[in-house]
Amino acid sequence: MVSTIQNTDVKQKEADRAVVVAVTSRAVFDCGADDGDEVCEVGVAFPLLQALQRVNERLLEENPSESLLFDVVLITSDSQQQQQSSRIISSTRHHGLEISSFCFSSEEDFTESLLKNNVHLFLTTDRDEAAQASQKGVFSALLNGKVASSEQLRVVFCGDAVIRTDAEPPSASQDAAQSFWAQLGEMRRRFGMLDSPLSLVLLTSRGGRESCGTALQTLRSRGVNMDEAYSLAGAPRSPILSLLRPHFLLINHLQD
Amino acid sequence: MSQNNRDTLTARGPDLTSISNRAPWEDARMKLKPSTPTRKPKPPKPENAITIGVSARVLFNMEKEQQIYKQQGLEDYIKYQVEHETQPFSPGPAFSFVKALEAVNTQLRELYPDSEELFDVVLMTNNHAYVGLRLINTINHHQLFIERFCMTGGNSPIGYLKAYHTNLYLSSDPDKVREALEEGIAAATMFTQEKITEVSDTQLRVAFDGDAVLFSDESERIYKAHGLEKFFEHEKAHENKPLDHGPLKCFLEALGKLQKKFYGKGQRMDCPIRTYLVTARSAASSGTRALKTLRSWGLEIDEALFLAGAPKGPMLEKIRPHIFFDDQMFHVEGAAEIGTVACHVPYGISQAMPKKGINDKETSSAPK
Repeated sequence: MVSTIQNTDVKQKEADRAVVVAVTSRAVFDCGADDGDEVCEVGVAFPLLQALQRVNERLLEENPSESLLFDVVLITSDSQQQQQSSRIISSTRHHGLEISSFCFSSEEDFTESLLKNNVHLFLTTDRDEAAQASQKGVFSALLNGKVASSEQLRVVFCGDAVIRTDAEPPSASQDAAQSFWAQLGEMRRRFGMLDSPLSLVLLTSRGGRESCGTALQTLRSRGVNMDEAYSLAGAPRSPILSLLRPHFLLINHLQD
Repeated sequence: MSQNNRDTLTARGPDLTSISNRAPWEDARMKLKPSTPTRKPKPPKPENAITIGVSARVLFNMEKEQQIYKQQGLEDYIKYQVEHETQPFSPGPAFSFVKALEAVNTQLRELYPDSEELFDVVLMTNNHAYVGLRLINTINHHQLFIERFCMTGGNSPIGYLKAYHTNLYLSSDPDKVREALEEGIAAATMFTQEKITEVSDTQLRVAFDGDAVLFSDESERIYKAHGLEKFFEHEKAHENKPLDHGPLKCFLEALGKLQKKFYGKGQRMDCPIRTYLVTARSAASSGTRALKTLRSWGLEIDEALFLAGAPKGPMLEKIRPHIFFDDQMFHVEGAAEIGTVACHVPYGISQAMPKKGINDKETSSAPK
């Protein structure tokens, strides 16, 4: 059973223009086991939501009638969290989070909930959940487990996955990925070179400069201009990733 | 390695680009393209390699673009770069040094095909990724072997230098160089030079000043505070006490490690890497302490030139190093005048009290 509750505190976004980002409530709030009425502790995704909110604020500053905004929905699929639904909603209010709606479903049909809500990007800390959603054609990514400290929304594209082999037809998930990148690219263009609330970062791990160059060109042809680019050519990723401080990593099939 | 693999190879040995007053890409040998595609060797793991971080503006000449940036701002600068994306930059001050490193690598790979103890050049630039394609096109055009880069879009590159275990960082920005030095990374500021004389194409030559470069500035402080006589007395008295290490000591050490690999294959007399100490110390008095210090560190230097205060220019002209490191702009400028690629190590007491240069310039007005 899937149900959606709209958050009346928050102005709802235009359905066909907004970039719908779904985040699991488990990642946003750590509600603990008890049934009390206290506000939940914040989870690993909290800085991400704040960063998304800041992007929205800046977008509206540039253009008060902007419709290309992030639309954040909270997905609750485990039964434990379901019981805490009122706490989740009150915690959202307490922390001033701009969450448009709360989606409750069972573990089996959470992907249905994602599709129903036209989710463009699904973020979770659970690798299996991400894989499941991806299979159903929802573009998914893993949240950076370590809390990112930057104010700026930092999105890292793992470029080794950008170039599709033309031999394979694009999967639903790849199409979803592409349209999400295009939306991000458009959003990024609303701001100048400096002082942007979001930064698009390209990281190629395996190939050398050629594959990074090709990725830059491919992305540009889709209207996505990167701010930063890193070509590792086989060098270890984690030291660089910890410097990049991404809020989330976009990779194709959730490999590596 | 096949003869067709990158035009810098000949059948016998390396072909280091000889840079004369003629632009190097006009050199006929550069126009050779490999007739068959060959597999590019894989870059070594950073912890095994001797990593040289170079900024875009020292690897290539971006003077014109830099002017646009200063006068018209970032957006126009980016626009210009993108519009000229297919136009390669011409070589900058670090170019011949990088080419020389690649030639040494070629030889090392021939002698030790499985070893990762090689030079690895990483492009470390503050530029935005918008400039990326032009930089990649330029690297392709000049057939440089640079597979790794960090285009930080305005963020500090220092963290990335550390992540790559960088052994030497070269940049046109003295602030970044100072930051790197503070983090314990050997670093130096490079400048665009009018004149670059021809250098050896069979041997990489690296020249170092002594005090405040290989050694700490402790003795220089004595000289500045108490004068020459006191300096000589002090050095004689402390002859057997090794000096503290300076910022470029570990880079000399890294070069020494590679030299030993050549010695191991019988290439001692004609080693493809040669190091020089070019110091104002005098052989008669203060020089001994310098040599003893190097020995105590287990380091060798191929030639020690004690100038006893004489200008370094004529000596550098004889040596023709690919690169020369000095902490005093006076010497850096002097070297540049005779066409040696010289870089400034902004470290130690000389930075606080600059010596006036030949043209009466002070350190603070150094070109960026």
